[in-house]
Amino acid sequence: MSDTPTSAKPLALTWLALLLLLALTLGSAYIPLSGFNAAVNLAIAVAKALLVLFVFMHLRHASSAIKLIAPAGFFWLALLIGLALADFTTR
Amino acid sequence: MSASAAVVAHQFDDAAQQRDAADTGMWVFIASEILFFGVLFFGYMMTRIHFPDAFAAASRHTDVVLGSINTAVLLTSSFTMALAVRAAELGRGKNIALFLGLTILLGALFLGIKVTEYFEDYQQHLVPAVNFSFATAHRDGAELFFYLYFVMTGFHALHLTIGMCIVAVIAVKAWKLSFTRQYFTPVALVAFYWHLVDIVWIFLYPLLYLVART
Repeated sequence: MSDTPTSAKPLALTWLALLLLLALTLGSAYIPLSGFNAAVNLAIAVAKALLVLFVFMHLRHASSAIKLIAPAGFFWLALLIGLALADFTTR
Repeated sequence: MSASAAVVAHQFDDAAQQRDAADTGMWVFIASEILFFGVLFFGYMMTRIHFPDAFAAASRHTDVVLGSINTAVLLTSSFTMALAVRAAELGRGKNIALFLGLTILLGALFLGIKVTEYFEDYQQHLVPAVNFSFATAHRDGAELFFYLYFVMTGFHALHLTIGMCIVAVIAVKAWKLSFTRQYFTPVALVAFYWHLVDIVWIFLYPLLYLVART
């Protein structure tokens, strides 16, 4: 946690970026992308989550321990989903 | 004894170390929450792989207008929450309370819209185990979609409700000027929780509302 207060500008810009990405994901859902719609939607969701994590949740300025712990939940979830997909997609 | 030293528990060297410990503990809790919701997302993925066409058909029955408005509402509530933390960093007690109050209002708006959607779903006979009927060949898969829809959005709404209660308690403390620039840990920790609930919705939105809109 940094001692210097967060300035308002990056917070407001992040909020605008989040709303822009929301418009983008909604708009792209109505354009046929020959099977890539789900991938685009998920990529935009990941981008929104990263904005929230790094700016709103101060992950940029977090301690080293937190920078290790924060991805741990996502890492185990990726293992669960990755290994299950490896099974289901190769049957 | 200075004001900041007064709130340092004896096992910590200083206020900064105490704050680091609190933040670290909250992130461990958040990691466990990611896995809690992660299992639901995992179940969603497996079911969607088995019933892709039924999920596409069922998703078109969700209210994409209300869902999108609700996403904007929740993203905005994260912004007001971030502003509350900034007010805390600047030591502006009343502003913390105002931004937390705004965050609660946006949370309540989200829940109100969600309940409206649930009522629409009920009227359209889309509630599994209550009145589910789906007129196509995709009935079974669509029922599983709506089962997941209600469990996932239901648990999300429960998290949001708990969050609003905690934010309300902290907002009252902030209004009474209980926090200082040196000590505002409860504000920072509840903000982490609120943003996590926002992130869960960021993934729920495309998976429930935008499966097949083309």
